[in-house]
Amino acid sequence: MDSKLELLKAFYSGLPKDRAKVETGEHGFEYLDTMLSDGATLEYGEMHRSGLLYKYKLSNIPGHRMNELLEAHIGKTCNVCLYFDDMANSIFCVNLDNNHKMNNTVLIPEMNLAVRLLMEHLTRLGCEPLVIASGRGYHLWCRLAVSFGNKEIHNFLLRSMAVTLAGLHKQGFDYNNIKANFYPDPRVRDAVSLRLYGSNHAKNKVFSHVFTPEGLLDEEASWKAFENHLNQKTVAEAQFREACDFMMRAF
Amino acid sequence: MKTIAIDLDDTLSNFTETLQTTEFVREASHVVSEEVFRDYLEKIRSGAPDTSDLLSNEYSSFRGKIICKCHELAVARADGIEFMQWLRANAWRIVICTYSDLRRDGHTIKKWLEDNRIPYDYLFMAWNKLEFCRAWKIEYLVDDQELNILHGSRYGVKVFYPMLPKHAALAANEARGFRTFDEVRQWIQN
Repeated sequence: MDSKLELLKAFYSGLPKDRAKVETGEHGFEYLDTMLSDGATLEYGEMHRSGLLYKYKLSNIPGHRMNELLEAHIGKTCNVCLYFDDMANSIFCVNLDNNHKMNNTVLIPEMNLAVRLLMEHLTRLGCEPLVIASGRGYHLWCRLAVSFGNKEIHNFLLRSMAVTLAGLHKQGFDYNNIKANFYPDPRVRDAVSLRLYGSNHAKNKVFSHVFTPEGLLDEEASWKAFENHLNQKTVAEAQFREACDFMMRAF
Repeated sequence: MKTIAIDLDDTLSNFTETLQTTEFVREASHVVSEEVFRDYLEKIRSGAPDTSDLLSNEYSSFRGKIICKCHELAVARADGIEFMQWLRANAWRIVICTYSDLRRDGHTIKKWLEDNRIPYDYLFMAWNKLEFCRAWKIEYLVDDQELNILHGSRYGVKVFYPMLPKHAALAANEARGFRTFDEVRQWIQN
């Protein structure tokens, strides 16, 4: 557990740890009082339609409380979702979701192709992502050796996604069936967070397996891939700058 | 501690009136033509459902922006403000309970509450407010939604609602309609 906690903290070291959205079945004022002791504040809460899941957006979280939350995340009793820095980040993510209202946990052909196209595109540019299966789709995470401005990251992601959607269109698929959100997104401040790797999804209880071109890894292999990505796949400053320049010149 | 849950739209604010009467102006961020802008606005005002199969689409994005604008422009009921301040002065735990998307509109709504000097302890979004009140052991709910008015008693929640024209043909229920928040204040004191 300790090593997983250290891995998680190292992987997401670039993200602010004083705020988070916590997804859990726990509820009631007594629970809230505990969460909010030591100075944390509740921005807002949300009861999911099922009535079985709650989301709490917390700010001013003290370090020891964040550690407890991350331990609970690894222990699969809650999900911790972190927000990105408002100005610059050394980690980014593309969240690909099935955009349908109904049966949207089904893996549609568009999703299968989109995740592969985007993986290949980022890898070609020297930014190999760690791909995590999550709910209605995939999260593609990239770690950077240094922080880049949100606008620069967003410009890069926007163009990379355009390449991906063009690939879908070329193969006869309707790209509207895929919803892509970028993290960070300079158009949205302090509004969207992303679930971290290493827990069971609070809604469907499925582990956040790492996805590779050969398929999904089991839980143990996923943790190894996570560690491997942390140690070996962090993108150097010059490499990411080159990738950004290339995309800006091309589009 | 005594706890009460209170709705925002059409309970503490004139949300629907704002939606129906505001002269919205097309902005660059709406990313639609003037013709589509008028068409979408009419759809929102008439309560027409989003018929797209897709979660995120042009209409849903536009609708979100108009709804957020209404949250910004809505006027708070003067007696509602007074009631909320009375609750605070009398040590009630106040939960604002709304259907609104707080991820999208949370900042706007919090600013609106602050600008109108409306005190509260917690801000919650819940699709099933009665289930929320039951789960959190909240005895009172002030809300204008018909479903909550009709079924509050089944959940053990005492519902009070502002009497609006849309409530004229309500089926029999155990909720209590009010004309001013002062009535609610008297009921919860007894």
